[in-house]
Amino acid sequence: MSTASPPSCTARLRPRGWAVSISGLYARLLAFAALLVGLTACRTAVPPGPAATLLVDDAGDTVRVAGAARRIVSLIPAATELLFAIGAGSRVVGRTEWCDFPDAAARVPNLGDGINPNVEAVLASRPDLVILYNSAQNAAIAGRLRALGIASARLNTDALSDVGRVGRILGRLTGRVAGADSVAAVFDTALARATAAAGPRRPKVLLLVWEQPPMTIGRGSFLSELVERAGGVNLFADVTASAGTVSIEAVTARDPDLILTTAEGPASFAERPEWQAVRAVRERRFLPVSGSEYNRPSPRAPGAIRELARRLRARA
Amino acid sequence: MTTAHDSTRLRLVILTVLVLVCLLVGLAAGTVPLSLGQVWHGLWRADTSASVIVRDLRAPRVLLAFAVGGSLAVCGAALQAMIRNPLAEPYLLGLSGGAGLGAVIAIATEATGPWSVPLAAFVGAIAAVALVYRLSVVAGRRLDPRVLLLSGVVVGSFAGALMSAIIVLSPAAGIRNAFLWLLGGFGAASWRSLGVFAAYAALPLAIIGLNGRNLDLVALGEEPAHHLGTDVDRTRRVIYACTALLTAASVATCGIIGFVGLVVPHAVRTVARPLHRTLLPLVFVVGGSFLVLSDVLSRTVVRPLELPVGVITALVGVPLFAVLLRRTMA
Repeated sequence: MSTASPPSCTARLRPRGWAVSISGLYARLLAFAALLVGLTACRTAVPPGPAATLLVDDAGDTVRVAGAARRIVSLIPAATELLFAIGAGSRVVGRTEWCDFPDAAARVPNLGDGINPNVEAVLASRPDLVILYNSAQNAAIAGRLRALGIASARLNTDALSDVGRVGRILGRLTGRVAGADSVAAVFDTALARATAAAGPRRPKVLLLVWEQPPMTIGRGSFLSELVERAGGVNLFADVTASAGTVSIEAVTARDPDLILTTAEGPASFAERPEWQAVRAVRERRFLPVSGSEYNRPSPRAPGAIRELARRLRARA
Repeated sequence: MTTAHDSTRLRLVILTVLVLVCLLVGLAAGTVPLSLGQVWHGLWRADTSASVIVRDLRAPRVLLAFAVGGSLAVCGAALQAMIRNPLAEPYLLGLSGGAGLGAVIAIATEATGPWSVPLAAFVGAIAAVALVYRLSVVAGRRLDPRVLLLSGVVVGSFAGALMSAIIVLSPAAGIRNAFLWLLGGFGAASWRSLGVFAAYAALPLAIIGLNGRNLDLVALGEEPAHHLGTDVDRTRRVIYACTALLTAASVATCGIIGFVGLVVPHAVRTVARPLHRTLLPLVFVVGGSFLVLSDVLSRTVVRPLELPVGVITALVGVPLFAVLLRRTMA
């Protein structure tokens, strides 16, 4: 057993040969029992060999992968995008409903919305590494996966600075260190180049992510970073929470130059009487953005910044 | 006789002053700090910078909070008398579940239009109420308050389950924000929404008010009320319909604001136990003022953010009520 390698373990997880001869529920129960036994065996059987990759994830847990991860379930859209960018896309065997970039990601099986992932669905894709968002909610999932002998890494993907950092972590876990380093280096250069030089007058932008009640994005959040780097000012940069409900009164008093909306389609709130107090609404100064490059930190962010900067200048 | 009359008049004056102070605080306080002078000028002159905030945003907001708070409190008082249960409150009859379901469906189907969510909430609330009524009447030919309570709870739970299922399954972006809308607030108040609510609420409020004597009798119990010449069943139906319509309208304008309808009537009764003819207007005024002040807190405590007003009504109201309860029980 000491020489058992991960591929032989995964082979044992598919007891198809005899399962078909036993019908119905028993077959499934037995299959599941065998799965558990197999996983436990794997866990005890695989010693941390000399090639094991060890690192500490954003939750402070040690992640141990024997060699490089070969079958990855990525439950963060930003991580899926990075895995493809560093050349490990072919190893992604499970994704969230929201993983829509690159197009090849859409061909990976969809395991749900990524919030409260279904552990059975994750197990069924036989991963050797599961990428989870670093939230308190996911601590329990990580614990269950660990008990089943599956490595998981909980990562923060909230800010532009996370792109290079998480890219390098994924590079180490997949053995694509050089690919990850070059993605991170290209990203840093492109980001620096895209960041607009502070103009004489920076337009104040209300980042309206929900209309009823009006919700905005606070300082330091990804979208706020994009707007600031594109040469705008977040109207509610004093909000430290990632998002919050604000009053129309506060919006009126701060008098934004532009209203950035993330909703697709027409801004229906613009027809409501209470919003007419806001000058930018009366003058229809809207900046609708759609596309996933605006809602998650990714290597595409420099392009999104350039596009925003162009539109901000056009509306100034 | 004259002293009793004088003391009534004195109480009326005190109450009026209290209401005016509440409304004034509502106008003066907010996200943007304004002096009383700015508020005064903003109210009468359109050209000042404060006038947009005071006239177009704060004034309708304060009046709407007052009208909704008063209506919910009156609904609570009437239902408590009618069902003869101290736990009766406007949302008990499946209304909150129905309204929530309507709003969630509107958001999940990405219904566009500025009024789609409130309209859907209103339709949902009315549908839930109709279903509760139907269930209660089927169970017994007459409207039995106990069956009504149970049906309300059951329909509410059912609607809540459907709502959760939709929220979990819907691919619509922002579906989880439906809860925020439901938590309630007056951020979307305008002269138009105030006008719609007032036009709508006037008739049910008047009918409840005119049934004051019937409510006094029904509160005594079915038998005595019947012997004293009240058509108990008819009173119940009328009160039920009026409170349902009022609550549905308030949910559609400002989401679900708990606690006002439950506790304000009790709080008023701990101080005075008048007949419903007096109790109902008193409850309206106290409920309205309470909600105006709660709304002031909701938009000032975490400036520039807003808290859902339902959070404030419970956080402030529960301790206040506990104190009142202890004092009257002692």
